[in-house]
Amino acid sequence: MLLIKAPRNQLLQPLQAVAGIVEKKHTLPILSNVVVERAGEMLTLLASDSEIQIRSTTTAGLDQTNAAITVSARKLQDILRTLPENVDVTLDADERRLTVRAGKSRFTLQILPAEEFPRMRGGEGEPVEIQLKQNEFRSQLGLVQYAMAQADIRYYLNGMLMSVAGGQLRMVATDGHRLAYCSQPAQTPEPGIEVILPRKTVLELYRLLSDGDAPLTMRVWPSQVQFLFNEIELTSKLIDGKFPDYNRVIPPNHPKLLQLARAELAPALQRAAILTAEKLRGVRLVLAPGSLKLLSINTEQEEAQEELEVAYDGEGLDIGFNVTYLIDVLTHVDAENFDLRLNDANSSALFTLPGNDNFKYVVMPMRI
Amino acid sequence: MPAIQVLPDLLISQIAAGEVVERPASVLKEVLENALDAGASTVEVALDEGGVRRLRVADDGCGIARDDLPLALARHATSKITSLEDLEGVRSMGFRGEALAAIASVARLTLTSRIAEANEAWRISVPGGELAPAALARGTVVDVEDLYYATPARRKFLKSEPTEYGHCEDVFRRIALARPQVKLQLTRNGRIVHRWPGAAAAQRVAQVLGEEFTGAARALEVQAGPVALSGFVALPAYSRASRDAQYFFVNGRFVRDKLLTHAVREAYADILHEARHPAYVLALTLDPRAVDVNVHPAKIEVRFRDARGIHQFVYHALERVLAEPLAGAASAAAAPAAFHLPPPGAAPAQPRFQRELAVSEGGVTQAAQRYFDAFALPRTGTAPTLAPVTGFAPAALPAAGAALPLRPGAAAAAGAEQSEAEAAVPPLGYALAQLAGVYVLAQNRAGLVLVDMHAAHERILYERLKAVVEGMPAAQKLLIPAVVAVSARELATAEEHAATLDRLGFEVAPVGPQELALRSVPQLLVRAHLPDLLRALLEDLAEQPASRVIETRRNELLATMACHGAVRANRQLAPAEMNALLRDMEACERADQCNHGRPTWVQLSMAELDRLFMRGR
Ligand SMILES: Nc1ncnc2c1ncn2[C@@H]1O[C@H](COP(=O)(O)OP(=O)(O)OP(=O)(O)O)[C@@H](O)[C@H]1O
Ligand SMILES: [Mg+2]
Repeated sequence: MLLIKAPRNQLLQPLQAVAGIVEKKHTLPILSNVVVERAGEMLTLLASDSEIQIRSTTTAGLDQTNAAITVSARKLQDILRTLPENVDVTLDADERRLTVRAGKSRFTLQILPAEEFPRMRGGEGEPVEIQLKQNEFRSQLGLVQYAMAQADIRYYLNGMLMSVAGGQLRMVATDGHRLAYCSQPAQTPEPGIEVILPRKTVLELYRLLSDGDAPLTMRVWPSQVQFLFNEIELTSKLIDGKFPDYNRVIPPNHPKLLQLARAELAPALQRAAILTAEKLRGVRLVLAPGSLKLLSINTEQEEAQEELEVAYDGEGLDIGFNVTYLIDVLTHVDAENFDLRLNDANSSALFTLPGNDNFKYVVMPMRI
Repeated sequence: MPAIQVLPDLLISQIAAGEVVERPASVLKEVLENALDAGASTVEVALDEGGVRRLRVADDGCGIARDDLPLALARHATSKITSLEDLEGVRSMGFRGEALAAIASVARLTLTSRIAEANEAWRISVPGGELAPAALARGTVVDVEDLYYATPARRKFLKSEPTEYGHCEDVFRRIALARPQVKLQLTRNGRIVHRWPGAAAAQRVAQVLGEEFTGAARALEVQAGPVALSGFVALPAYSRASRDAQYFFVNGRFVRDKLLTHAVREAYADILHEARHPAYVLALTLDPRAVDVNVHPAKIEVRFRDARGIHQFVYHALERVLAEPLAGAASAAAAPAAFHLPPPGAAPAQPRFQRELAVSEGGVTQAAQRYFDAFALPRTGTAPTLAPVTGFAPAALPAAGAALPLRPGAAAAAGAEQSEAEAAVPPLGYALAQLAGVYVLAQNRAGLVLVDMHAAHERILYERLKAVVEGMPAAQKLLIPAVVAVSARELATAEEHAATLDRLGFEVAPVGPQELALRSVPQLLVRAHLPDLLRALLEDLAEQPASRVIETRRNELLATMACHGAVRANRQLAPAEMNALLRDMEACERADQCNHGRPTWVQLSMAELDRLFMRGR
C-alpha cells in the first residue's frame, strides 16, 4: 500500500506541525505514534497527547486506495529531518511495517493499527464558530502568553482565559503574581463565550500560527475547542474551572505615573538583575522627584544601583519587585514606551502602553 | 424510653467516673449525645460566646416525662442501662447517668421537655429545682448558661471565644458525620453557621468536609461477618498537615483509638509521606459486646475484645482501596475524547467489597480532580520507572564533564590529562536520570550518586530560610489571594499569630467564618501547595503563646515551611533542574542529612557496583 510519494519537505512540514505535542512518555504507548492516513489524494497526519490533537493534511500524489497506520512520530521525524532537502520520499505500508524509501536509503518501522488511536472528534452539538485573522490572534497571544502559570496546583491558572464577547476578543493570563491582559475589537457571537485554553494549547498555537493575515476559524463547544488554519486542525480540551476575575485585579486609578522608554529601562533592569539574590530576584524601585533608582543586593552583599531620569514630581516611594516579572513585560511587548502606574509599597504596579487601553500588565510587589 | 432508675451501687462503682465537662465542647458533646439517644431527627445548637455564656440544644426526640425530670439531673440516674449485662452490650451513647448532673454542678441548667403522650411540657432549672409548666411542642431543650459561674478558677482556664467555639464546632462536625440522617443546625452568637439537612452519608461528608475532600476521596464498604467498615478515605494528594480530617467512629461513637489509628497509618504507609496525615471518615460497626466503651471518662477510647483481628481487618480494607490505580489518571489516557471519568470497571470487584468513585456527577470537580492528579500523582507501589534524561546534551556541560571516564580507576592510570578532566567534576557529579520520581541518579568521580530529591531540597530550603529569617524573608504579594478553607480553630490560631506569620512572610486575613485569605507568601516558597503549607504552620502554632513563638519554635516552623516548599515526589525534573539541585547541595551547609536526620544522598562506588556483578579486580 503506497501512502505517499512526495518531496521530503512536503511530508516533513505537516509532520512537524503535528508532532510537537507528542509526549516522550505517555501512559498510553500508541500516543507516541502519529497517524498517517491516506484518503483519495490527501494524506492526513494526526497526533495527540489526549488533551490536544493536531491534524494536518497534504496532497499525496496519485489517487490510491485508502489506508491508515500509526508509526513512531519521533523516529519518522528524525529520519525525514536528516534526509537531504529535496529528495523524494515514499511511505509504503504492509500489515506489520512501514517502509520509508528515499534515494538509496530504506527504513522499515513498526506500526500499530490506526483504529486503536484514540481520537478527539470535537464536542457534542453545534459549536459556536468565530472567524479571526491568524496574525492578529497570534500577536495578541504573544502579549499575554508569558504570564501563564506552569504546573500550578490551581490548574485553571495553567492556561489562558479567552473571552469573545461584546465586540471584543480578550485574553488574560496570570500566575498569581502578575497578570497580562489584552483586548482587541473582533466579531463576536451572541451570546459571547468565555473559555480557558490549556497552556500547552496556547503555546502550540503560538508556534503554529503564521504571521500573515490568513483566516483562522475557531469552533467552541462547552468543553472543547477547535482551531482551523492553513492545513491544520487543532482540537483541544478546555480547562473546566473558574478563572480569577481580572477586573478586580487591574487597579483603576493609581496616582503615580511614570513614562518610561524601554530602551533605557530594560537594560537597566537587566544589569540590576545580575546582582539580585539568586532565588529571590528582588529589585527595589526607589522613586523621588525627577529620579527612579533601581537597587539590588545579593546574598554576598554585592550591590547594583541604576538611576533613570523621569518626569515625576510627586511623593517618593520605595517598592520591591521580582525583577523577572518586570523584564518579562518589556521583552514580550513590542513597544518603545511604557506607562508605569504605582500607588504605595503594598499595591500593585500597572504597566500600560501610552494612548492604548487594550493592554494591561499588573505586577504585585515583593517585600524585600 | 423507659423510666429512669437509680443504678445499683455495685454498678455505679464499675462505671468510670471522670471529668465530664472540662470545657464547653465537652458539655456540648454530652448534650448532643443525649439528643441522639432520645432518637431525635432534628437537632439545633446555639452557642453564645463559645458556649460559655450560653449553650442551648433543642431536639425532637422522645422527651423526658414530668416525674423523671428531677432524676435526669441526679447523679448516676439513667434510663439507658439497668444492669452490668446492659453495660457490656451498650448501644446508646450514654450509660453512666452522669453527664447532666456534672453539667448542673458547674452551670445554670434548664431542662424543658415534653413526651409525646403528655398534654404539656415541663421545665426544671438548677439551681432551684422547682418543676414548672412550660411551652414546647415536642422533644427536649437543654439550656446551659454561665458555664463555670460557680468556679471562677475553672473559668480562667478557658481560651478565647474563637478557640472554644472551634472546639465546639469540632464536636458538632463529629456528630454530623456520625449521624448523616439527622438534620442539624449550628448558630453562633445569633448567626446560623451550618444548616445541614438529613442526607446520605456521602452528601453529609461533602457538607461537613467540603467537596475538596469528597473530590479526592474514595468510598469503601467492607463487611466480614458481624464487623463492617464503611466510609471515605482521601487519596494522598489530599493528605493534611494536621490531624483534623481524621474521623473514626465505632458503633456511631467518635473515637481516637491508637489501634485504629495505627491500622490506618500502616495502610497509608507506602503512599504517604511520614509528616503528612491521612484524611478519612470511617465508621466501624460491630457487635457492642465485642467492644468495651467504658475505658475513658470522655468515652473517646475503646477496647476491642479481638484487637488483632480488628487491626488486620481495618488495615486490609484500607490498603486495598488505596492501592487501586488512580481512576483519574488511567481514564485520562484511555478515553481522551471524553471529559468525564468512566466508572472504574477495570478492577474486578470483590464480592463483599464495593467501591465507587466519590466524585459528584458532572464537570467541574472531575475535571479539576483530573488536573490535580496530573500534578500530584502519589507514589504508588508499582514498579519503578526509569525516566531517561533525553536532551541531556553533553554540550551543556563543561567539556570535562562530557569526557567523564566511566572507570575512574582505569582513568587514573591513563595519565595527567584525564585526571585534570576529573578534577573539574563537581563532588556530586552530573545527573544521569530520575528514578521513580523519587531519586536523582548522578555520576561522580567515585561512581554512582543516589539523591533523595525531596529530602535534599527540603534541607537546602531549610538552611536558606534560616539564613533569610535572620532578617525579614522576601515575600511575594499575591495578585489573587489564595483562599484557604480552615476550621474555626485554625482561624483563631491564624488571628492570634498574625504577627508571627507576617514575620515569616505570610500575610493572612480571615475572609469568612471558615476561610483565610493568604495575601503574601515567602518568595522561596511561591511554588509550594499554599493551603497545605498554611495549615501545617497553623498546626505548629496552635496552642503556642503568641509572643515568644518565633524564638522558641523558629526551627520547627522553618522545617515545616521547607518541607512544603520542597519538590514533591513524582515531579519530573529537567536535567538542568537536577544538576541545579546537586550544585545547591554542594553549596548548602549540612546538606548531607535531611531535617529528620536521614541521609539525603548515598554514594555507590565503582568497587561496590563491581562487587554486585562479581567483577573482582
Ligand atoms: N435530650 C434528651 N431527651 C430525652 N431524654 C433525655 C435527654 N437528655 C437526657 N435525657 C434523660 O436523662 C438521663 C440522664 O442523662 P445523662 O446524660 O446525665 O446520662 P446518660 O445519658 O444516661 O449517661 P452518660 O452520663 O453516659 O451521658 C438519660 O438517661 C435520659 O433518660
Ligand atoms: Mg448522656
